[in-house]
Amino acid sequence: MAMTMAEKLFSRHNLDGTPVVAGDILTARIDGAMCHYHAAEPMMEAAEQAGFKGGLPRVWDPDRVFVLLDHHQPALSQSLADSNAAVRREVERLGITCFHDAEPGISHQMMADYGLMRPGELVVGNDSHTISYGAINSGGIGITRADMFYVLLFGELWFQVPTSLKVVLNGRQPNYPIAKDIILYLAGLYGDDFAGSMSIEYSGTLVPQLSIDSRMCLSAHGVEVGAKLALFPYDDKTREFMKSRTDKPYEPLVADADAKYEKEIVLNVDDMPFMVAKPHQFGNVGPVSESAGVKINQAQIGSCANGRFEDIEIAARLLDGRRVAKGVRLLISPASQQVYLQCLKAGLIEKLVAAGAHVITPGCGICQPKVGFISDKEVCITATTRNFKGRKGSIHADIYLGGPLTVVAAAVAGKIMDPREVFSEL
Amino acid sequence: MSFDLNQLIKGKVWKFGDSIETDAINPYYRYPTMEELKQHTMEAYRPEFPKEVKPGDIVVAGRNFGCGSSRPGLVLREVGVAAVVVESVARLFLRNNISRAIPIFMAPGITQIVNDGEVLEVDYPAGIVRNSRTGASVTMRKFPPMIEQIFKAGGLPEFARARYEAELAKQAGSAR
Repeated sequence: MAMTMAEKLFSRHNLDGTPVVAGDILTARIDGAMCHYHAAEPMMEAAEQAGFKGGLPRVWDPDRVFVLLDHHQPALSQSLADSNAAVRREVERLGITCFHDAEPGISHQMMADYGLMRPGELVVGNDSHTISYGAINSGGIGITRADMFYVLLFGELWFQVPTSLKVVLNGRQPNYPIAKDIILYLAGLYGDDFAGSMSIEYSGTLVPQLSIDSRMCLSAHGVEVGAKLALFPYDDKTREFMKSRTDKPYEPLVADADAKYEKEIVLNVDDMPFMVAKPHQFGNVGPVSESAGVKINQAQIGSCANGRFEDIEIAARLLDGRRVAKGVRLLISPASQQVYLQCLKAGLIEKLVAAGAHVITPGCGICQPKVGFISDKEVCITATTRNFKGRKGSIHADIYLGGPLTVVAAAVAGKIMDPREVFSEL
Repeated sequence: MSFDLNQLIKGKVWKFGDSIETDAINPYYRYPTMEELKQHTMEAYRPEFPKEVKPGDIVVAGRNFGCGSSRPGLVLREVGVAAVVVESVARLFLRNNISRAIPIFMAPGITQIVNDGEVLEVDYPAGIVRNSRTGASVTMRKFPPMIEQIFKAGGLPEFARARYEAELAKQAGSAR
């Protein structure tokens, strides 16, 4: 029987050992469980709710649980410090071996940095952007905290096998990242739930040219268009990426040639303009020209969507010898310490600071605001994950989403502009 | 808390649009405690909601309800919302409601048959959602039996405990 990547993933992990197809409900065996800052909840509150006195009685496999305290490092308030401390106690009590504690960074990026998820695996996380692991052909699926409680106890969870959506990306990769523009373009055309509960499989002539960084942006944003999985094929770039990160064997997911797809979308990126999502929804998208002239107060590059080397590199490349516009706050936050170090070694951080950017500690802070709140009537353009009302503080502020190039152009111009009009070298 | 899907629910409708996101439902990063959240949930779309919502009211919304993060909508239950009835729901929000046994129903066409402030009747056994005044109704999607069991257990953590204790009892039995 011909199968999609999703059908193969779930068939391989079906506890019953039988093949499953789109629509089937199954209990799946979990390869890895990623718990981020809300780790305390499945461990303690849900345990209490269920009547387990003294908390979660065990984890099914202490080596398959990864706890990364990402959103709240360093702790920005007393209550967060207390909740981090509670997680530390639980991790020790339960004997969890992989704990990234005193290291700032976004859990998903650290999972990639340290090779904690591998191609072909089913890895769940109690964060919606766990879907980003699809970039390296890993079955990353976001689950809820109460789901995680079940996973921690048994190493299993129920799922419905999704239907699959083939997204064919054709064209040429320019010498700057366009992943954000691609996903915004698709959300604008087909709506912010065009992949609702589906598995996206990326293919096309652009895919082999896309860096792992770009694939992670596209896969992370799978959730912004409703998807359960957002999978890239395994190729030379994936193999190279994994080589230095894991020595454990893995078996990539390969779709069968005649697998059945619910629908197919084809996009040629060569004529695609730079895209911007306007307030307050991810699908409220137009070409940057539609928002041109909007004055901004804050600009940001970071998060699990755009906090990677290539996002920061393009900012540094274009800011070299230029200045951020007077009065504009440009916040740039590398996705992890490893990314930060990579940027430092490449000399990017010096260029950013010289141009007037704020370099923010790696983590989720600028996306789901811990730092850089904005006030009533202020405008922020951001290469992060979401532009919902209040996402940056005030519900009376406007948030635009764009790629790192569009953001840095706005930061230099002080207003949203087509990057080609700001940077003559493009 | 066990939830009986077979109970009839009848309540006044608060109607919302498409793609209502978890930042609006649960803006915990601005309001970290439940008491604060209760005063601010959904205010991004309807500022009067947290002030005027009454126990037993029903939230009706368009497609893609609860999109965004994996945060749960516990606060809606806390302010007394008896049920959420939507055109479609984002998968993580649905999983949250299932795993916490909070009633949510997918009823395509719901936004066409009811206006804000009208009274809606949710009849899960019959698979129907009905406007009390006009009598207009739409069918809802039924849950698979396994999901119904999770609602009955009171949520996934409770479901997990039942399984865990059964396993312990079995082990104790075989040890004897």
